[in-house]
Formats: sequence, structure tokens, C-alpha cells
Amino acid sequence: MIEAARKGSAAAFTDLVGGYREGLLRFLLTRSASFADAEDALQDTLINAYRYLHSYDSRWRFSTWLYRIAINNAARLKTVDTVELGDLSDERDDPLRHCIEASDRENLWSAARRLLSDEVYTAMWLRYVEDMSVNDISGVLERSVSWTKVNLMRGRKTLDAELNKVATDEKSKAYG
Amino acid sequence: MDKLAKQLRADAQQIECEVSTQLDSRIRASLEGVQPDAAPRPQRESKSFSFWWASSLTGIAAAIAVIALVNLQGPAPGQGVTEPVPQAFVVPAIKWHAETAVLTTPLEQEIENLQADLKKAEDAVKQDIDRLF
Repeated sequence: MIEAARKGSAAAFTDLVGGYREGLLRFLLTRSASFADAEDALQDTLINAYRYLHSYDSRWRFSTWLYRIAINNAARLKTVDTVELGDLSDERDDPLRHCIEASDRENLWSAARRLLSDEVYTAMWLRYVEDMSVNDISGVLERSVSWTKVNLMRGRKTLDAELNKVATDEKSKAYG
Repeated sequence: MDKLAKQLRADAQQIECEVSTQLDSRIRASLEGVQPDAAPRPQRESKSFSFWWASSLTGIAAAIAVIALVNLQGPAPGQGVTEPVPQAFVVPAIKWHAETAVLTTPLEQEIENLQADLKKAEDAVKQDIDRLF
């Protein structure tokens, strides 16, 4: 499929990326200021991937390469809109909140966006949602393996503390 | 899979989003209008070995010529004579009364304890990281 897409078959490329589109959109949604921005970023990501498919190195996983492009596009959008993750003061505009099912407790990814830096957030997402290896994550983020390990550890500790805090609050409520 | 990993995965699934038919057709239309770039041309072969050899020899010859020229000219008049420094400018020697600080045993012990604690903490973090990833 990759070879067919490289030769200019848009249909082959559409089939190739079909399985990644929703995951990418979900990921971009957590990094964008609005749903429309996330959709634009997805479109740009797929177009760039198709255009520069010749530069894809088959030693890497295809998803790793695709996420690298997605991160670049999301970063570019963020620069244009000058919206900082975690600085979305008006919660009504936060696209992530619109897309999260109503729940008694805060979605951990909302908390993660509030508590973690962009890079640590991305590392956590790639690790726990996309099941990427530490090596692949360090490739996507263009960081060393040890940096990735240490920051995944920090992200885990922060979110673990948040999860325990929520559990303690729920217990306190239950006991009145 | 630990509790946090399970919770993160479950919470990611709660983020409802799907590629709408509108977006899908928009992406398809954009892709139809784009042609993938051709693979970049292979880089030109590097210069031949004889070219490298010739330029090295030229560089060495130029260096020898410069060294020879500089040495043939000899020292400039007046150079190499050191004028005596007037006695008034000589800085008088100062007698320092310095004593070596000796750490008391409890402080040394304290430093050793702190270093041991640091080592333990570092080992614990390394073990945690290796265990998880």
C-alpha cells in the first residue's frame, strides 16, 4: 500500500491511514484550541504525510512517523492561534470537555492537560493510549530515551497523585 | 497493566470523537489535489581522491613557505631586550596567616550520611524507572 501511495495513489494512501485517523483526531483534539482546529490539523497531517511519503523510513513504525507530523502540525497551529495548553481559561471553549462523556469525576486526560507540560502529556498519551514503546516515543518527541523514561515517570507520579486525591475525596464524601 | 494505565486508557476511550463524513470528503478531495513529492535525488559523488590529495599538498606547501619567510626576516630591532622593572613597582610580599579548616567528626559523619541518603534515593528512582519501562 505504501508503494502504491508513493506512486501517487490517493486511494491507497486513504486505505493506509484509515486505521489511524480517529486516534490522530483524538490526540489532536487534546492539543488544539477548538474542534475545528483539530480537524484542520488532521487534514494537514494527512496531506503532509502523503506529500512526503518518500521520506518515510520503513525501519520506523508508520504510526510513529505519522504522530511526528501530527505534533508538528499541532505546534504550528498553536503558534498561529497563540493558545497555550492548560491556559484555556474559559472552560466552555475547551473542545476536550465537549467530547468527554459526562462523569462524576474529572477525566484523567483533562487533569493531565492541566498538570503536565505539552511534551510530558504527549509522551503519556503515546505510551498509554497508543501503546508506543519508549524508543518510539523518544523518536516522536526527538528526545533521548533516558529523558523519555524520566518524564514518563514524572507524569505517572503526578497523575497517580491526582488519581489518589480523587479517590480520597470520594471516600470523604461517602463517609459524610 | 496497573491501575493508572487502565484508568488512562479508559478515560481516553471516553473522549468521543469521530471523523465526520464532511471531514472525510474534505480530506479525500485535498489528497486528490496533491501529488506526492518524488524521492530526493541522490547526492553527487564526493570529489575524487586525487583532488583531495592535491589540495592537501598545496596547503602544506603554502604553510612551509610562510614559516620560511617569517624565519628569514629575523627579529625586529629592539625586540628581545627586556627593560628592567623599576623597584618602586615591585609588589611587596604579603605574609598570609592561613590555617587549614578541619572538619569536626560529627560534620564529616553528617556529610557521609547525606551522601549515603542521596545514593539510596538515586538507586530507588533508577530501580523504579527500570521496573516500569
